[in-house]
Amino acid sequence: MNPLLEQFLSESREFSQGIGEKLMQLEQAPADQGLIQELFRLVHTLKGNSGLFTFPEMTRVLHAGEDLLGMVREGRIAYSRDLADRLLEAVDFVGLLCADIEATERIDASRVEDSVRLAESLRGLMPAESFKPTVADTRRMAATANIETPSAVAPATSLFHDLPEATRAHALSQSQAGDLLHWLCYTPMSDCFFQGDDPLFLARQTPGLLWGKVRPHEPLPALADLDTYRCVLTFDLLTAAPREELMEHFRYVPDQVTMVEVDPRWLAPERAEHASAVNPPGSSANQKPSELRPRPLPVPGSDALPAMPIALSHEEPAALEKILSAQQHILMLDGEPESRAGRLQAVALVLANLAQGAGDPAAAREVKAALAECLSTGRNDLLLLWIEASQEHLLQAYAARAHSLDSQPAPANTISPPGTDVPEPNPAKMEDGIKFGRRSEDALTKPKSLKVDQAKIDRLMNLIGELMVEKNALPFLAQRAEDQYGVRELSREIKGQYASINRIVDEMQDAIMQVRMLAVSVVFQRFPRLVRDLSRKLGKDVQLVLEGEQTEADKNIIESLADPLIHIVRNSLDHGLETPAVRRACGKRETGTLSIRAAQEADRVVIEIRDDGKGIDPAVIKRKAYEKGLIDEAALERIDDREAVNLIFAAGLSTAEVVSDLSGRGVGMDVVRSAVEKINGTVVVDSQVGKGTTLRISLPLSMAVTQVMVIQTDGQLFGVPMDNVVETVRVPRSAVHSIKQSLTTVLRGRIVPLKALNTILGIPANPLRNPDDELAVLLVQAGGQVLGLLVDGFKETIGLIQKPLAGFLSGLSAYSGSALMGDGSVLMILNVREIV
Amino acid sequence: MAIQFKKNRIVFHEVVGVEEAESLLEAMQGNSSSKVDLAACTHLHTASLQVLMAGRPAIVSWPRDAELRAWIETALGARS
Repeated sequence: MNPLLEQFLSESREFSQGIGEKLMQLEQAPADQGLIQELFRLVHTLKGNSGLFTFPEMTRVLHAGEDLLGMVREGRIAYSRDLADRLLEAVDFVGLLCADIEATERIDASRVEDSVRLAESLRGLMPAESFKPTVADTRRMAATANIETPSAVAPATSLFHDLPEATRAHALSQSQAGDLLHWLCYTPMSDCFFQGDDPLFLARQTPGLLWGKVRPHEPLPALADLDTYRCVLTFDLLTAAPREELMEHFRYVPDQVTMVEVDPRWLAPERAEHASAVNPPGSSANQKPSELRPRPLPVPGSDALPAMPIALSHEEPAALEKILSAQQHILMLDGEPESRAGRLQAVALVLANLAQGAGDPAAAREVKAALAECLSTGRNDLLLLWIEASQEHLLQAYAARAHSLDSQPAPANTISPPGTDVPEPNPAKMEDGIKFGRRSEDALTKPKSLKVDQAKIDRLMNLIGELMVEKNALPFLAQRAEDQYGVRELSREIKGQYASINRIVDEMQDAIMQVRMLAVSVVFQRFPRLVRDLSRKLGKDVQLVLEGEQTEADKNIIESLADPLIHIVRNSLDHGLETPAVRRACGKRETGTLSIRAAQEADRVVIEIRDDGKGIDPAVIKRKAYEKGLIDEAALERIDDREAVNLIFAAGLSTAEVVSDLSGRGVGMDVVRSAVEKINGTVVVDSQVGKGTTLRISLPLSMAVTQVMVIQTDGQLFGVPMDNVVETVRVPRSAVHSIKQSLTTVLRGRIVPLKALNTILGIPANPLRNPDDELAVLLVQAGGQVLGLLVDGFKETIGLIQKPLAGFLSGLSAYSGSALMGDGSVLMILNVREIV
Repeated sequence: MAIQFKKNRIVFHEVVGVEEAESLLEAMQGNSSSKVDLAACTHLHTASLQVLMAGRPAIVSWPRDAELRAWIETALGARS
């Protein structure tokens, strides 16, 4: 289902509900102009929305509702209970259509009839003179008149009269072969040309068309007085298509079409010969014209449901016996006294319903009286007595009902040949009798999406965070049980409990994360426009390729991604991609390509922005960086091209020769970097001169829970985000070398600088060594560098919710935040990037 | 232009839309002896058909499209 339709459905449900509510409120305050205004607005909007799609059934009903409410609003008709009923009916119908659309993405043609009837009933409430203004209504009234009078056969007369012999013979043979033919009389509204209709086209496209004829239904004026855009034509059509197909074909104009099933006798040659303008087919001596009344397209209540209640079958008496004996059993139970009242009420309800079902409201009242008695006396005999007394009677009542239903003919849904009694359209019945077998109370709409306030989700998030902290306390408790109280068994059990709680909490956290997930398309969708506008402004020819728009990540991540991405795209367009002329000179395609791809890699989202522009020249970057004092001379020699290119993220560097209004003020890329890093992301750039530039942004899926490795130094615990941890190793002290002031070691053939965490944090203690004279080294990486941190020991890895340092502490750059541990202690999380 | 207005003849081409109805009417009002050539016409909008029905011009050639021809013939019934 396309997103627009999905949104339409969810909005329609909201509106339908809103309309229902407003109608209810109006019952209390019928004169409230504000409410009526609001109601009108709701119906109007819903109608407008439905018009965006091809749901004429829905639009038709809502349009009638809107007109009606418009009059209420203007005070031309008063609000009434009846009006509310019909509008509610209309709303139910809309709900029904929504369910249809949701299931099949279309509205079944069978709804056309209902929609016409419903619109009819709504319009029936409007004052008669209001029919005049719209041509549509005049036309429709004429059509109704056609149905009501025997003269409706007249068109048939002329039809069969005009029918060429060959067509007639063909139709007759088809009709005799058992194909049901239909005669259609299609009279378009006189202003139909203004609505873009071409009735002739519609008529020509009629499925199964055997023959057709156009005739003016009122004398055509002389050429001089002719109004070109007023349609006065009627189409007579003979078709072999089934009724459903025809209804589908004329679904936009059902009120302008009348349809009759053709009796083969009408087509018989002798009839046709006899037939003349005054002697229509089928109206000879033994048949009165009225018996040939055409069936209008909307079939009025002929297949309405029989009145409530409905007995199902002969098995019912048996079932009834079972039900009754079950009630007796319940009444004889001793049970707990506190639930006695509830039991009695339940039994009484069952009995009362049974009596109601048997068509005996008096018995139902008896049950109620007996219940009241039983409740007050505390004895159950009265209800028991009632069951015994009424059992026989109920059984008989149901048996009789089942019998009468069996002998009743099936609902008259079958096609009645002309000559038998076709139920007459009865306007009064049409008005009360419109039921859809589903009322608002049982039309359970199940919205598939919820709109939830973000604050509620955040609260859930916080709660789950606290739950995690509490959960993490369990292992400590287990430890204490063992160490302090010496109960190993208990400790083991606590650990077992912890394992299962851990699993549930993890799952719960995952579920809440899912709620917060948003597709990157939210951010991506603005790029086509942005790229188009910018490239035109810059005189460049750019093709944008978006991929992986469905990739999801936490809402906060996605939202904070928007600005950096726009910066990057601007930079690519401004600095990266060349003008068509330059590209041609370089032997590239004139149209540059900018591709933005999103993909999920493990627990991270990677977004790649690639252009096939001129790339970044590392030499230029190095020189600029040196000029601006961002790197010293030594670095100028040392850094390789890749590192040089990544210098574009340094603050205050702009490579553009001219500062444009797009970019080039040197604030672009470092803003990007800091924005990305703020959400624990990384950004790297890869570029080949002349070939293009690729930026890769890697972001966590969610920033709520951080996986942290706990380490120990000088008796204190610290956390290091797992994103920064490369590995943990034990290095023999002999393998640690001092080069000048700094310590290093060789790890798998690579020199790794070492730093003692104690030194960094200003703790006056030396790193501890284990009995084997080894040092614990935590290999961390940040900003492309790897460093070994000398610590005292490693602890477990835990997931926790990191809280930023607030107040005075926020100035401590060595820490990125703090978190609460399971035992209540505070764990400081190291900001690896700052300390290396 | 789906309709060509010649001196004494109005020639229809392929699909004649609703826009042409007005000019068709004017042309027929201006010269009631104009003859109509429908040979190349495959569909004409109801509005134009209505003008033809009201004006009842002489048809010099019927549409080659047999189905459309049948429609127009019955519409202009009395003449054909």
